[in-house]
Amino acid sequence: MGEEIKLIKDGKRLDGRGFEELRPIKIEVGILKRADGSCYFELGNNKVIAAVYGPREMHPRHFQDAKMAVVKYRYNMAPFSVDDRKRPGPDRRSVEISKVSREALDPVIIKEYYPKTAIDVYVEVLQSDAGTRTAGINAASVALAAAGIPMRDLVSSIAVGKIDGEVVLDLSAAEDNYGEADMPVAMVARTNTITMLQMDGQFSKEEFERGLKLATSACRKIYELQRTALVEKYSESVGEGEA
Amino acid sequence: MGFEIMEDIRKDYVYDLIGSGKRVDGRGFREYREISVERDLIKNAEGSALVKIGDTVVLVGVKLEPGEPFPDAPNQGVIMTNAELVPMASPDFEPGPPDENSVELARIVDRGIRGSEAIDLEKLCIEAGEKVWMVFIDIHVLDNDGNLVDAAALGAIASLLNTRIPNEKYGLTGEDILPMRGTPVAVTTVEIGGNILVDPNLYEENAAASKLTVISNAAGALNGMQKSGSGGLKVEEIAEMVDIGLEKAKEIREKYLVT
Amino acid sequence: MRSMYKVVVPGDFITEEVNRAGEGTYVADGRVYAMKYGIIDDKEEIKVVALSGKYVPSRGDIVIGKIIEISYPYWIIDIGSPYEARLHLSELAKGEEKRIEFGSMNKYLDLGDLVVAKVLNVDSMMRVDLALKEEFKIGGRGRLLEISHTKVPRVIGRSGSMIKMLKEKCNCFIFIAKNGRIWIKGSEDEMNLASQVVLMIANEAHTSGLTDRVANFLDSFKRKKEEDKGKEWEKK
Repeated sequence: MGEEIKLIKDGKRLDGRGFEELRPIKIEVGILKRADGSCYFELGNNKVIAAVYGPREMHPRHFQDAKMAVVKYRYNMAPFSVDDRKRPGPDRRSVEISKVSREALDPVIIKEYYPKTAIDVYVEVLQSDAGTRTAGINAASVALAAAGIPMRDLVSSIAVGKIDGEVVLDLSAAEDNYGEADMPVAMVARTNTITMLQMDGQFSKEEFERGLKLATSACRKIYELQRTALVEKYSESVGEGEA
Repeated sequence: MGFEIMEDIRKDYVYDLIGSGKRVDGRGFREYREISVERDLIKNAEGSALVKIGDTVVLVGVKLEPGEPFPDAPNQGVIMTNAELVPMASPDFEPGPPDENSVELARIVDRGIRGSEAIDLEKLCIEAGEKVWMVFIDIHVLDNDGNLVDAAALGAIASLLNTRIPNEKYGLTGEDILPMRGTPVAVTTVEIGGNILVDPNLYEENAAASKLTVISNAAGALNGMQKSGSGGLKVEEIAEMVDIGLEKAKEIREKYLVT
Repeated sequence: MRSMYKVVVPGDFITEEVNRAGEGTYVADGRVYAMKYGIIDDKEEIKVVALSGKYVPSRGDIVIGKIIEISYPYWIIDIGSPYEARLHLSELAKGEEKRIEFGSMNKYLDLGDLVVAKVLNVDSMMRVDLALKEEFKIGGRGRLLEISHTKVPRVIGRSGSMIKMLKEKCNCFIFIAKNGRIWIKGSEDEMNLASQVVLMIANEAHTSGLTDRVANFLDSFKRKKEEDKGKEWEKK
């Protein structure tokens, strides 16, 4: 019961976006000094940092893989990142997100190059507005490349959903809370291979197909932004003027 | 399957067989193992079901007790789903707090129940804003031979369909049976060497790089999906997996969930 | 005008000439793609020179290592890699009658000591065996710098041109190891200058015209020093 929340007014979403519009994205490469690779990523009001340490020695030893590196991923939300303070420490949602995110990136990492080591990916959510796991995967991809980890491709990620019966791209928190379906997706743009797919809520088969198509085309746009951020990193690290 | 294959060569063995159109246990690519569902066997639980898919055995128990509703849903009952991969079920399961596999399993089953609105949560309100029925769905994996998700999800719905509400115990009055209005069914497929196989057994699950679970309701709508595993899937493969999901869910629902 | 080499990211298509695929690339479906974030080095082979990444030892590499553990009969050595290296005590007792006894290894090389060593072998289990170079001990007044091993070729320069210039113009002893560790010896001022220049090279390793820029920097620094000295005299 309660009032009906209208998520679409006059063909526009609450924040004024069209149905197929991404929130603004900002990417900064190499913002942390100590990590081997790092990336700050904004997706609308989401702010996340990804950091990569590795390849490095894997402890405990008995979890080492003699033939390849072991990739570990830890998604964590800062207590102040959400409206109702989140107790510090991993909760079940974070555990699941860490697993599916690791599985989203694992397929592109060439682990055979560093047997017996660990590649640690840490994603911290500093501010959350729905879509943090997708922002995390986008940031982690860039951080892994920046760390010099051998990869076949970058991975890009976004969520689609259904609000007031319409299939839309990149849900905000209000849309996620009051909407009818939520589907985060991760993809390798070059090969059109899906490496993460989750859905909850209700989609007809046709809505699912439309949503997946919308997600994959948005992932391709995000890939271009990730790539540009990495390439441009090297034009700014050169100082101005002659010595 | 009377023999065990050495772990190292298992993956190749599975791949080779599938390459020639065969599965380790002789099934067709779209064939489930034998399924059995036994209900109401745990008397201390308000609802229960024992599901076997091949050699995989999962016992689900449902318990109800009054509790506080969530502040943003004051008139609705609360669902809590938990899974335990008990150590006896597999040499790979260790005692301790839930690991990522058991957390994922519980959350996938939960997703299907929530997404399909299978439980009429508003009918579980005892006193608005103060007291509602909490539905605890506990998944107890007893033997792991692959595809725990489908067995657990089937067990959850089978339990819920016959769950009693323990009014007397708490001095309350009301409906006797848990109000259910949906029967979501989970169907899991794996991709091996470009082939899609339904209901993977343990060998197939370990050999496959990617697994997709599709949960759908009686009306043919999708209520949950989860890709797991360290591989990638082509869009066409996903489309095939969704079709198989819808087809098999219908078969399973008609055979095991229609009372 | 500073020009850039071509920067690539993993998955970027490089060429269809599969037979030229070199380090830092991989081949799929008859095409060559970048495997690392780096710059393209297009010669006989096409390579991607990584701009970051951990050092993985290869046989023959000369490295600077630090003793981190003594585990008879080996010293365990950190070489700035995800893989630790080990030095067998027979490497130190070579050609001599003495035997190094259990419990006395630290008298020869102790925890924290720095050594120059050669990678003898890396086996399939990633066990790295080292042998000591003749002049192996690093000690006395000096400075140990650490840069990414990916920048070492730039600090050395084509046919050693860059390192030669650094040694002359900074008037320092400079030794660069394959694993990115650099040992510098000289006066405080000289070492400061050398450190500054090494850092500059490491930061601009991906640009062209670097050798000239470094030469100009060193010359103008020298000029400024002489000017300042001149001014000092004038004051007196």
